[in-house]
Amino acid sequence: MTCDEAKPLMFESWSHSLGEAQELAFEAHLASCETCRVEAERLGGLWNRLGLVAVEEPSANLRSRFHETLAAYRHGLESAPRRSLREKILSFWPKQPAWQMGVSFALLVIGLGVGYAMHPEKRESPASPELAQLRGEISSMRQMVALSLMQEQSASERLRGVSWAYRVPSTDTEVLSALLTTVNQDPNVNVRLAAVDALHGFGSSPVMRSAVMQAIGKQPTPLVQIALVDLLVDLKEKEAAPELRALANDSSADAGVRQHASQALEKLQ
Amino acid sequence: MRVDGTDNNLMAQVWAGQVGKLALLFERHHRSLFRYFVSMNRNRELSEDLVQDVFFRMLRYRTSYDPKQSFTAWMYQIARNTSLDQAQKRRGEVIDIEEFGERRPELASSAPGPEESAAKLQDLGLLRRALDLLPPEKREILVLTRFQEMKYDDIAEILGCEVGTVKVRVYRAMRALEQIYFTLAGEKAS
Repeated sequence: MTCDEAKPLMFESWSHSLGEAQELAFEAHLASCETCRVEAERLGGLWNRLGLVAVEEPSANLRSRFHETLAAYRHGLESAPRRSLREKILSFWPKQPAWQMGVSFALLVIGLGVGYAMHPEKRESPASPELAQLRGEISSMRQMVALSLMQEQSASERLRGVSWAYRVPSTDTEVLSALLTTVNQDPNVNVRLAAVDALHGFGSSPVMRSAVMQAIGKQPTPLVQIALVDLLVDLKEKEAAPELRALANDSSADAGVRQHASQALEKLQ
Repeated sequence: MRVDGTDNNLMAQVWAGQVGKLALLFERHHRSLFRYFVSMNRNRELSEDLVQDVFFRMLRYRTSYDPKQSFTAWMYQIARNTSLDQAQKRRGEVIDIEEFGERRPELASSAPGPEESAAKLQDLGLLRRALDLLPPEKREILVLTRFQEMKYDDIAEILGCEVGTVKVRVYRAMRALEQIYFTLAGEKAS
């Protein structure tokens, strides 16, 4: 065992978590190496004293606050199923006339689709123009819903819009553009994070990859920066190395983000 | 640290809708989470808020829990994210000098007492101060290993690195702590 191999093992040895063979090898090294033995004694003293640093206890108030929160959450969960079936159905029905029309149209398209499915003798081949047209209409309806919701004032509505982005084809450049705008400009962190997740579906787009690389440096929130870095790693985007390196070396960036960027660089190499 | 399998089972029940089971997980882990936060930020009030936030996120995002994953690692990943969000919110805030004093109770303490006890208290105060002066990533790994007595496997999962890397980082953090500690002790002696 060399000194470099032995040094990181001293803390495990003190907590008795080394395997028997490693413990013996470690002890043998200490017996033969004075430098490591002296260092182990010195750091061992510090390690023991570190265990004596006062342990702080939370106040009793923390427990009562937790139980209040849990009770409120359970109450919310338990009261939800008491709604009647009619109320449940109505809760899904939009209040704005424009949305009511949109949903009606969607139901009509779904009905047509079900009609086609229930008459196999009349079912056309997948390449038939009618079926292609139907698919096109469904796709454009999904696109419309996604784009409209992503422009809403309410963050929860914008989140719903982002979730609709999963239902459009990965070639839909309008929805891709809206997602990238959301990642760069949406004021809500959760919406930005959801948009980054949704971008996974557009992985084959070089435009998306390039835009994500540019977005990392401009992003003010460490959580979103980390999500963007993860996206590039998932896509195995080796061309992102310069941006990741710049982020890892950026002293003004968050320490966690810098560390994450360094790890991403290692994974991409 | 509890047997992780039991924690995993409890969290699986929370995942399935028995949210009341979270109270058991709270009883087991809220102290260690509080110590983790308070060791990192030296602010008791903020640390209690963060613990509260971690358990709320565990409820809210319970469906993201994978029972095959270590519960402890999952919980501390949430804790780190919560802390990161909070740091982002507080970035730019002006720190009140009185609040800063509250964050370092050991340093403010100079209560007279028996000579030996006082010397020991001063030494631990110095060590606490050296720990506070470590860079956050070094301080965190010592808090997780020494204060939380966490397994290296779990730490590796939390930090997203290899177990071997954790061992090397603990060693480097201890060396850095030693250097700061002796520098402070030298300043005090001179």
